[in-house]
Amino acid sequence: MSFNVLIVDDSSSMRAIIKKIIKVSGFGVGEFLEAADGKEALEILADKWVDIVLTDINMPNMNGMELIVEMKKDELMRSIPVVMVTTEGSEKKMQEAMDLGASGYVTKPFLPEDIKKTLSSIMGEEDGQKNHDGDDEGGDF
Amino acid sequence: MDKKTMMETMKVAISNVMETMFFQPVQINDKNCTLQEWFSDKESLLGAKLNFTGPSSGSCYFLIPAKLVSEITANFLGLEKDETNEGQRRDTIKEALNMIGGHMFSLCDNEGAISLGIPELIEEKNIKSYRLGEIKGETVFIETEDSHLAAGVITEMK
Repeated sequence: MSFNVLIVDDSSSMRAIIKKIIKVSGFGVGEFLEAADGKEALEILADKWVDIVLTDINMPNMNGMELIVEMKKDELMRSIPVVMVTTEGSEKKMQEAMDLGASGYVTKPFLPEDIKKTLSSIMGEEDGQKNHDGDDEGGDF
Repeated sequence: MDKKTMMETMKVAISNVMETMFFQPVQINDKNCTLQEWFSDKESLLGAKLNFTGPSSGSCYFLIPAKLVSEITANFLGLEKDETNEGQRRDTIKEALNMIGGHMFSLCDNEGAISLGIPELIEEKNIKSYRLGEIKGETVFIETEDSHLAAGVITEMK
């Protein structure tokens, strides 16, 4: 089974890194989709089937918290798991995100393993383990 | 939040970010000098700033020689130095500062009272050697194996 991933971050380099980590971790990803802010993300979500969203918090136009709020208002989007990948590491922000309905929280700077573990716990380890070719530390990242 | 705590936390944040995300071991240099003394006037520098607001307001800044930017961008993206483009290099500087600032405040502001802005590049003309003296704030001087950089905080008094 493969799943579609939407990565939302105003830094294209950060999107590339997260994508690379997920790729080398061996998850069965069908399609990687990318957005530079919450507004772009909502446009993609309205148009494409997405199984999980990884989003930054501080972004122009619409931040990651606002994105979750908008997603929870929508009948189809509300069940999509959202993982925050952010520099905001205070307990208060984490709690705020979880209260809004985030499924996971990874703070930057992160290790590849942090992303992998969070995705495994949400999407199930099956894909990560079955398709991975031996290196449990995140491949050649 | 006092300045001393903020600057000590910034040192930890810089080390963690540079080593974890950019595979760049760093050493904090505690010598008392100015930015003009730290950077040669022949060096081409790039820089970014990140505003913050809350109980303390101001901005964090990050100054780095262009040559080192290529190196950390390549490390970050898993590319060769000559494969990186200007957009990626600019993005890397902003993201580096974003992570340093965010990590710093998450270590010293557990209440989450500080709000971070969006990192911006500093205009090149403002980081020419002769203008470095105009940057007023607390600075951390950092050495890498074969280069050096600086980061700091400018706080506004309320």
